[in-house]
Amino acid sequence: MNACQDIVLSVEDLRVSFCNEEGKTEVLHGLSYQLPKGKVLAVVGESGCGKTVHALSLLKLLPPGGEITSGNVSYKGENIFALSAEELRKLRGSRISMIFQDPMTSLNPIRTIGSQLTETILAHKACSKLQATARAVRLLKKVGIENARKRLNEYPFQFSGGQRQRIMIAMALCLNPDVLIADEPTTALDVTIQAQILKLIKDLQRQSGMSAVFITHNLAIVADVADEVLVLYGGYCVEQAPVQTLFARPLHPYTQGLLHSLVSLKRKEEHLPAIEGYPPVPGSCLSGCPFAPRCPQATPKCREALPALQEKHGHKVRCWLVK
Amino acid sequence: MLRYVLRRILLLPLVALGVTFLLFFLTQRLSPEMRASLYIKDPRQMGALEEVIQKYGLRDNVFKQYGRWLGSALQGDLGYSQSANMPVSQAIKEYLPATIQLAVVTIVLVVFFGVWFGTVSAVKKDKWQDVCARMISVGGFSLPIFVLGLLLLMFFYGQLGWFPPGGYSISTDVVIHSPAFHSYTGFLLIDALLNGNLAVFWDVLRHLILPAVTLCIGSFALMVRVMRSSMLEELGKDYVRTARAKGLPEGAVVYRHAGKNAIIPVITLASIQFIRLLGGTVIVETIFDYPGIGRFGVTAAQQLDIAGIMGFSLMVAVLFVLGNLLSDVLYTAVDPRIKISE
Repeated sequence: MNACQDIVLSVEDLRVSFCNEEGKTEVLHGLSYQLPKGKVLAVVGESGCGKTVHALSLLKLLPPGGEITSGNVSYKGENIFALSAEELRKLRGSRISMIFQDPMTSLNPIRTIGSQLTETILAHKACSKLQATARAVRLLKKVGIENARKRLNEYPFQFSGGQRQRIMIAMALCLNPDVLIADEPTTALDVTIQAQILKLIKDLQRQSGMSAVFITHNLAIVADVADEVLVLYGGYCVEQAPVQTLFARPLHPYTQGLLHSLVSLKRKEEHLPAIEGYPPVPGSCLSGCPFAPRCPQATPKCREALPALQEKHGHKVRCWLVK
Repeated sequence: MLRYVLRRILLLPLVALGVTFLLFFLTQRLSPEMRASLYIKDPRQMGALEEVIQKYGLRDNVFKQYGRWLGSALQGDLGYSQSANMPVSQAIKEYLPATIQLAVVTIVLVVFFGVWFGTVSAVKKDKWQDVCARMISVGGFSLPIFVLGLLLLMFFYGQLGWFPPGGYSISTDVVIHSPAFHSYTGFLLIDALLNGNLAVFWDVLRHLILPAVTLCIGSFALMVRVMRSSMLEELGKDYVRTARAKGLPEGAVVYRHAGKNAIIPVITLASIQFIRLLGGTVIVETIFDYPGIGRFGVTAAQQLDIAGIMGFSLMVAVLFVLGNLLSDVLYTAVDPRIKISE
């Protein structure tokens, strides 16, 4: 990414641990990236690699037991972790918004969607309830909910999954945030709805020129929406590059494996190629490259020491094999 | 909704019929002589026993006897209670308001403090507030009601003289039976306010406090636990995370979002407790010499006053059905997902 662009969100050496009876387990081992204005960064990885934990820690929303052990997240140069509770509250939902994975459970089941939308507006803006309602109606229309004014008085269970995610999007965008963090926003939806929701997010993002962190395990989505891709594996960033570069010339064996396992219309294969083995259990891999146990090209060195993240022409990779 | 309520109310006679018949059938296990003995106050009149049995037809077939009771009950005559020395319907009219008054005050205290302590306990999980609330809750569970009642009476009446036993003082008795005092509802607290007589209101309230607190403790302990676990469960849900991510103040997250969901099990518990209080405040009414319906029921049972027993159980059955109906209706008010369907 170009250094002279405005950086809206910058993450430096973010480390997150979880505590349980057996002690502390680090699940995110020093993640760093910068998000320029108007760009979309996709964070890709398998389940359990730390994608969601990273997203939640950006706004200090980790569940009990989760702890940010070191690092900085700054929004336009201001350290989020140093903010007071009230300053953080004002930032959440207005400057930096989030969309979550499961729209079925992410809305309060016993309050109308109108009240859930307007309370967000009222929490950040000094306006009347009437104005907030008018804004909520406009937003719902914008995200494609028909009959918006009438539907404000309905409850989440009266909407379909796709509609609920549209409402979540409306809620996230109601104060024109600078950064949208979308944590697998389409995972819980079926495929046709996925495409619609994705298009909606993409269109809204381009219209408003906001930046976005898009968390997903779906590479097809990445190719569609992202400007830059960050590949997470076992809590480490293993590769980061602009989207075309990454798809054209993946350097890390894990990224290569991921891309290889995509369905292609050109190749004719009986079985879809997959990466052998399972992702590491957090806390289990103490030395060496986290991908070494599953890597087809691993050398003894890979199992002994963790490679550093090296950068060449804006393409970062964490692998001993890349010279 | 309306149809549901109507249907439930239509079901009421069926429940009442079942309960009263069952009870009537059980009382028939006692010999006619035993049932007749209630009417004979003096051992020298034992010879009249057979006369009483004949007069009231106590040897008749059980269905015939039940039919007789039912027939007069349908006409509003529940019989004469020998133990209370007045007609059963009058006894209920006289004693029930005092018990309802006590139960309402108790349940208000239970819900208010239970929800409050439970919420604080959940929000401050494992902090000192939580430890305190849990200790009070365990204490409340372990303390038998009669021990607590006697201790409170000993201290607050015996030592301090603040809260006397009984339903009201003699001075109040004079006032409320004077022609100037109108009995609008039968509930002394409300009537006192309607009459603008604050002295009576305060006097009645003063007599209510100790029995209410005593009744409160056990239910309160349970309420704290239910509210705490319900609140903890809700606080861990996704929509609470959404509420925080939207930038709502923590108070709104806890009360407006999690709290409203967490209160649903409390409604069930509160209505069960309330119904239980209406029929079962016997021990407390006895300890505090409180003129409630529980004492009437127990005395009737002790003295084999069958008319009294039947009237009391009929009343409890009706209250039970109505109480359950009320809690169903309350549910729909809180949770829009519950639509009472036809």
